[in-house]
Amino acid sequence: MSSIQTIPMSESDLIVRRIKNGTVIDHIESGKGLKVLNALGIDGRDGNVITIALNVPSSKVAKKDIIKVENKFLQDTDTNKLALIAPKATVNIIQDYKLVEKRRVALPNQIERIFRCSNPDCITNSDEEIQPIMDVVDKTGLVLRCRYCTRTLDVNELKYY
Amino acid sequence: MSNSFFQKDIVSVRDFDKQKFETVFQATDKIIGMNQNERREIVRGKTLGYLFFEPSTRTRLSFEAAMASIGGTSLGIADASSSSAKKGESLADTVKIMSLYSDVLVLRHQLDGSSRFAAEISEKPLINAGSGTEEHPTQAILDLYTIRKEKKKIDGLKVGIVGDLKYGRTVYSLLYALSNYNVDVKLISPPSLKIRADSTYEIRKKLQYTETSDLEENLDDLDVIYVTRIQKERFADIEEYVKVRGSYKIGPELVNKIKDDAIIMHPLPRLDEISPEIDSTKQAKYFKQAQYGKDTRAALLALILNENGI
Repeated sequence: MSSIQTIPMSESDLIVRRIKNGTVIDHIESGKGLKVLNALGIDGRDGNVITIALNVPSSKVAKKDIIKVENKFLQDTDTNKLALIAPKATVNIIQDYKLVEKRRVALPNQIERIFRCSNPDCITNSDEEIQPIMDVVDKTGLVLRCRYCTRTLDVNELKYY
Repeated sequence: MSNSFFQKDIVSVRDFDKQKFETVFQATDKIIGMNQNERREIVRGKTLGYLFFEPSTRTRLSFEAAMASIGGTSLGIADASSSSAKKGESLADTVKIMSLYSDVLVLRHQLDGSSRFAAEISEKPLINAGSGTEEHPTQAILDLYTIRKEKKKIDGLKVGIVGDLKYGRTVYSLLYALSNYNVDVKLISPPSLKIRADSTYEIRKKLQYTETSDLEENLDDLDVIYVTRIQKERFADIEEYVKVRGSYKIGPELVNKIKDDAIIMHPLPRLDEISPEIDSTKQAKYFKQAQYGKDTRAALLALILNENGI
């Protein structure tokens, strides 16, 4: 009769398993994980394993969300879309269980399809087939402008698309 | 070398700099100076297609008149309720169809950003003839031309803009246009109709302007008095309109207080903000302004449709 082997595991190992290849988005503000998935257009239809952990205890902040996307190496053009949703997120690229790249998200020059224009009379809020695009006109002052109606937008009042 | 307007959209006056305005002004002067036979050769055989989803008198007629004056023809929809838009056809489809039948499109639509969207769809160059409360670039071009023509300069002038500054698309286009010049602007409106902060981000650093609600106290040193209508149709709450309608009326008494060589402009239509009694004064230039509208639009069409300009 064989004895039961005990393998020591950390708390986070228990919650979300390590991935061999793919992208780990860490330090997402608690409660924003699902919005991050939506913003990145990740829906699991490609068959890759996606692990989402919400409200994970963290030493740096009280709680955080984590997303692991297996077999997909997200580019900065993808993850920079998160700069307004999860500005403190870190993006870790994993290859053969090893961390090969770690980066912070940064504001891109334009943000597509994530937020609605807050001007109700903007063409992007009509029935026309058109997706909202916001140009980042000032990265330091965080000024966004709708590509279509050209109004500047209050980033604190943006609604998700 | 082709001219910089050839086959280009005119969506926003923000795409213009001083040089571009000057190109249109010079083309306008040239067209005015031509005889009828010369003029009618400029765009012979070309067709302008117009789509007006909001009512218009001057803009649509002046585009048609402008096109005819330089030898082209026009076709289009003057009232969206008589088109397939009424059946629910999208703006995108309507624009696409019109772009198949014409060489240049002119669009007026009630939504902000509609022209930028339509220009992406259209296979032909598109001119914005009013997009919601956003912009009316050809009005700004004719406004600047009027000032340049009547005052012989634009730089160094004091310009007062009066009335509905919140919803007036001509106001925003004029402000964007003036931000290319060294002018001093006074914005005169009821407090509830001040200019929108979310539409003036770029001009705040480029244009010197002050805001006030007092018309009489601010008239005497102005070189240009640009009056706008308080637009009932833009108010979501009619009570708010009632509170501000008739806020400013320019009649003979006020005209006596302005500079002798000042000019009074208005994009028209007017209600009671300018009394017909002052139409015959030397300062009243709004009908001349409407005339220049036809000439500047003819110049713009000529530049868009002719690779070598005029």
